[in-house]
Amino acid sequence: MTNPILEMRNVHKNFGKTAALSNFSLALYPGEIHALVGENGAGKSTLIKSMTGIHQPSSGEIFVDGKKCTFRSTQESQAGGVAAIYQEPMVFPDLNIAENIFISHHDRPAFINWKQMYDEAEKLVARLGVNLDVHRAASSLTLAEQQTVEIARAISLDVRVLIMDEPSASLSNHEVERLFGIARSLRDQGVAVLYISHRLEEVFELSDKVTVMRDGEHISTKPTAEVTHDTLVAEMVGRDMQGRFARVPSVATGETMLSVKGLRKFGEFRDISFEVQKGEIVCFSGLVGAKRTDVALALFGIEPADEGQIEIDGKNVEIATPKDAIEMGIAYVSEDRRKLGIAMEESITANITLPMLARYANKMGLINTQLEHEDAQNYREKLNIKTNDLDGAVGTLSGGNQQKVMLAKWLNTNPTILIVDEPTRGIDVGAKAEVHQIIHDLAAAGVAILIISSDLPEVMSLADKIIVMREGHIAGIFAGEDASEEQVMRLAVGAKTQEEVA
Amino acid sequence: MEAQSNIQRLFKPLISWEGFLLFALILLFIGNSISSPFFLTVNNQINLFQLSIEKVIVAVIMTLVIINAEIDLSVASIMGLSACAFGWLFQMGVPAAAAVPMVLVLGAILGGFNAFWIAWVGIPSLVVTLATMIAFRGMARVLVEDRGITDFPDWFDGLGQNPFVGPFPLAMIVFFLLVAIFYVILQKSTFGRQVYFVGSNREVAEFSGVNVRRVKATIFIASGLISSLAGLLFAARVGAVRGDVALGFELDIITIVLLGGVSIFGGTGTMIGTLLSILIVLNLRNGMALSNITGHIQTGVLGVLLILSVMVPTIKQFLTKLFGAKISGEQKELKNE
Repeated sequence: MTNPILEMRNVHKNFGKTAALSNFSLALYPGEIHALVGENGAGKSTLIKSMTGIHQPSSGEIFVDGKKCTFRSTQESQAGGVAAIYQEPMVFPDLNIAENIFISHHDRPAFINWKQMYDEAEKLVARLGVNLDVHRAASSLTLAEQQTVEIARAISLDVRVLIMDEPSASLSNHEVERLFGIARSLRDQGVAVLYISHRLEEVFELSDKVTVMRDGEHISTKPTAEVTHDTLVAEMVGRDMQGRFARVPSVATGETMLSVKGLRKFGEFRDISFEVQKGEIVCFSGLVGAKRTDVALALFGIEPADEGQIEIDGKNVEIATPKDAIEMGIAYVSEDRRKLGIAMEESITANITLPMLARYANKMGLINTQLEHEDAQNYREKLNIKTNDLDGAVGTLSGGNQQKVMLAKWLNTNPTILIVDEPTRGIDVGAKAEVHQIIHDLAAAGVAILIISSDLPEVMSLADKIIVMREGHIAGIFAGEDASEEQVMRLAVGAKTQEEVA
Repeated sequence: MEAQSNIQRLFKPLISWEGFLLFALILLFIGNSISSPFFLTVNNQINLFQLSIEKVIVAVIMTLVIINAEIDLSVASIMGLSACAFGWLFQMGVPAAAAVPMVLVLGAILGGFNAFWIAWVGIPSLVVTLATMIAFRGMARVLVEDRGITDFPDWFDGLGQNPFVGPFPLAMIVFFLLVAIFYVILQKSTFGRQVYFVGSNREVAEFSGVNVRRVKATIFIASGLISSLAGLLFAARVGAVRGDVALGFELDIITIVLLGGVSIFGGTGTMIGTLLSILIVLNLRNGMALSNITGHIQTGVLGVLLILSVMVPTIKQFLTKLFGAKISGEQKELKNE
């Protein structure tokens, strides 16, 4: 048997106290397409970043051709023969194809031999089996063509390990076929390809070997011929019972609060129909890119849908702006606290009262700060926000407390429909339990709750109803107590059951 | 414990940038009073204000523009164009009393033109107002060509030159009124709150139901209107207009605002800071003039101030570190409870 080109041995990577990779070992062989699968948050990105020098492993070793290597930057990893391409290609739009390919060549003479550069670029593009004029500006290329340019850049550096991180996510079928062609021709030229994808069909069509990872750990590596959809899905989700939260009995009232019919946004999502009752907790499950957040943004008036009906409490409504949504009792707690959640320079009180300023103002538009402080004080006690100065900037608080301020801000709008996007991403188990308790309390108070979560155990413990989305449409709806993680994951990745395969 | 935290609450404002400016201003007053007996007289204080009154009026609205994370480079050109438009209308036979409101409307329209491109089309204000700075100045020069227009009615010149209430001329009263109004707007009103949030994080404001476009548009229209008023006051004070009225004022105005602790990245700053900064800049110039320091050195000192103003965030951090230890100690105690 040949020796691996790249080998990781017992690699650990910690961020603070959380381990993103633990004791991870993986070997990539020449002339092989190796697929890597795992849930959101399984640690795939961390793995790639550790291989390409963006992150340095906390411990463990990486060998290239049997020699121990430490990559401190992507330049060093490329020099060592390892490169990655991503879903969103990174090209310079104003440079042409040839310039983009050779942008990473720092070892050339100071003056460019343009003719030689174009000749070499043409050879590289031809080697990938595609037909592209290397004089074209990158901005005129499709996403798929830009990816081709990135791949050409990688092989121009004599890369022997090419990592492809969900390269097919935004490509059409035809373009995916061409990408597969490129991957296969690279394999036949002796390159080791590490292919990461959420789509299991692709794994079966393309790969020679498949590795499953979960919670930062290596679960299995097997020849693709020896696995089935079922075994892969089971390995992706299979956890022991530790870390699960007990289910709380549903408090859904049977009265429909929110009803969505045939919601559609062109190029994003389609046929979105569902209902949420007062007191019901509905979870949107699915993989990154399933467009769950886009549905939420449509409901909240940030990016209104093109077609479809929204009914709140039996009344047909138009939601064109967040202001409309807030007035109708909808609150949306974003997953991106820093960018969309709270303004770091402004005070805790001001952040909490911002969506509801009119409540504190007199006819002249002047704010009653006394009233504001009372409400902020109230939330400080209720949510246990740790600060001694409600007039201090939010940016001075710890992450968990910032999260609570963001929650307080939306609870203060007295929502009847609460949409929470990834409520517990990146917070510890204790804080998670606190957040879950708040959600249960709100449901008990009759609030209709929509949760977008990629954390399957969380979905399993919270949801009265689970809506699984895949590639912009609803792939299935389960009652919370009936569903299993395997069923949900199978729908989310589009895996076929044994009978369907046969 | 209770008493101690009360004392800290009392002193906390003093460790802010505004506190530092106040300290600097007091030093300046003491120094100037010692070096010249004429410094601390009402007449001298009014005089030093009058010499730059149009700039400091515009600095009031520029404070809101920059808190909003925008910039308005066209203010001086709007001042110039407004003054010239007044002169041109007057020459065409329009009575001065009718020309004044017409020019103010023009100012709001010029600000609205900026607002359209910035708030609705979404072009960066730096680019839009750089373009209109040149365009509005060009229009001013076209209107009056290369002559001056003068001989305005006595009542009009009088508004700029004579005391209006007590010893204070009209422009100074306008200035202090605007400071008071915008102080209340920024600190107490819902609109002011929205200005801070849009400047601090536009998306957060949008997701919280704030009409970001309307906030930005309102500020730029107000900026046009107030600049135009300042242009008229300039015409009244000087008693004549030319194409180069207020040429280059925008940089002095922006310098004053930044020195006042308004972050160029938006979201922070106060009207008090701008007011203190104005007092410092004016008294510094005046004090140096009274002490017979030449204009070149005055400019040099203002240059040093500008560098200081750019370093405001760093200095702020330094001050907090230096004096804030006690307060964070208190915070630790709270955590332990």
